[in-house]
Formats: sequence, C-alpha cells, structure tokens
Amino acid sequence: MERRKFLSLTLGALALAVVPASVRAEDFRKLKPTVWTAHTVDDAIKNMYGTTDAIDEGVKLTTPDVAANGGAIPVKFSTKIDAKTIAVFQDANPEAAVCVYAINKYSVNNYDIKIKMAKSGTITVIVEGKDGKLYRAKKTLEVALGGCEG
Amino acid sequence: MKVKPKLKKGIVKVKAMAKNEMITYNQAEKKFGDREKADFITHLTGTVNGETVIDISTSQFLSKNPIFKFEFKGDNFKKGDKLLMNWVSRLGKTGKGKGKIK
Repeated sequence: MERRKFLSLTLGALALAVVPASVRAEDFRKLKPTVWTAHTVDDAIKNMYGTTDAIDEGVKLTTPDVAANGGAIPVKFSTKIDAKTIAVFQDANPEAAVCVYAINKYSVNNYDIKIKMAKSGTITVIVEGKDGKLYRAKKTLEVALGGCEG
Repeated sequence: MKVKPKLKKGIVKVKAMAKNEMITYNQAEKKFGDREKADFITHLTGTVNGETVIDISTSQFLSKNPIFKFEFKGDNFKKGDKLLMNWVSRLGKTGKGKGKIK
C-alpha cells in the first residue's frame, strides 16, 4: 500500500512537472488569430464562434452610462451559465475584440476589467455555454473623452 | 504585477494589476511612426498549486496598467497558498507576480 501510494504520488508530480501551466492554457490569439483583426463585432464573433446567433439572456453586464475617461472604462460582467468561454467586444475602436476568457473548473464567472474606447459605442459580451449556445448582453454608452488618442 | 487574492466563504476574490502601457497600433503609429511597435499584453494566466484558475487572451483595448478582478472556487485551496500570475506581450515582454491567499 505504501509503495503504491508513493508511486502514484511520484507519477502525479511528474505529470505536473512535464506539462507546465503555460501549455495547458488556451491562447485564443494563437488558436483564432482572425478574431483579433476583425473590424466589426459581428465579424469578430463569427470568427470566434462560427455564428452570430445568440440568446439575449443569462448574462449580466454593467458599465457606466457615460464614461468621462475613455482610457479606463470599468466593465463588469457575470453569468451563472455553465460556460466554456466568455468574450468581450466593442464597436468604437479599429478592431472589435477586447478579451476572451477560457473558463476552467474553478471559475466563478464574475469579472471586472477596464477597457479603452475611442468614442461612444456598444460593448457586447458573449458567453459560450457548454450546451453549445451563445448568450449575449449589450450595453451602449457615451464616451466623453476618447481613450485611444484617435 | 500586483496580485491580491482573498478567500471568503469558499470563493477566492482576486484583484490583480499588470504594469504595461498597452500601446495600441494607432498609438504606436502616432508615437513611433510604426504600427509594428504596438505592444500590449496578449495573454495572462494564473495558477495556484499548478492548477490554472484564470486564463485570458487580451487585445490592445484594455486600459493602460490594466486591472483584472476575477473570482474562483476556493474549496481546493487554503489561506497561504500562492496565486502565481504571468503575462506575455505582443513583442514578447513578460511579467509575473504572486500573491498569498489571505
């Protein structure tokens, strides 16, 4: 019993050592490069998920109605949906994609980030459920002072 | 980078800040006359005891010195465990930070 335990522990440790965290991570910039060069939100979503059909429920998105500083707009989003990925897009900048989260078994899907927007526009958050469906939340806001220097 | 994880009622709440200018293509063109000098964080990950708890692919449109707030389930972790975070930028710069779960 002791020996068996020792072996399994050693093997487990070896497996962890062989596969560093960076390899297990999913870098969507490498997996789906076209998402990041798309100019419209629809194109970016299509390049990411193959479709733009999404259900407008299950995703909570909070931003200020008017952002004084376009250089750091607080964006909060959360969902209770059993998700695979969550992606954030906007239509005020030259390209649409902002970020993509790869969800893991520890994730509690409640996030808060700060983004840049050059002008007023709409932020779209897409949640890809494990059921294969897309869920969406949108929020249009006014940006008083653009954050991308033109 | 600064990493502050806090365990409360089985959930670890994290506030992390990466130090990076997040220079967009347009800013690079204006500043250096070369779009290819754009440099921003493209990928950020965090692990506790070798387990990935956060994994984000990012673009140039996060704010300068971006702050990431996120949460993860704390059942398998305890106070004192370390959250290690790493990022890599478009031009290959890297940054890391760690924070003890409090």
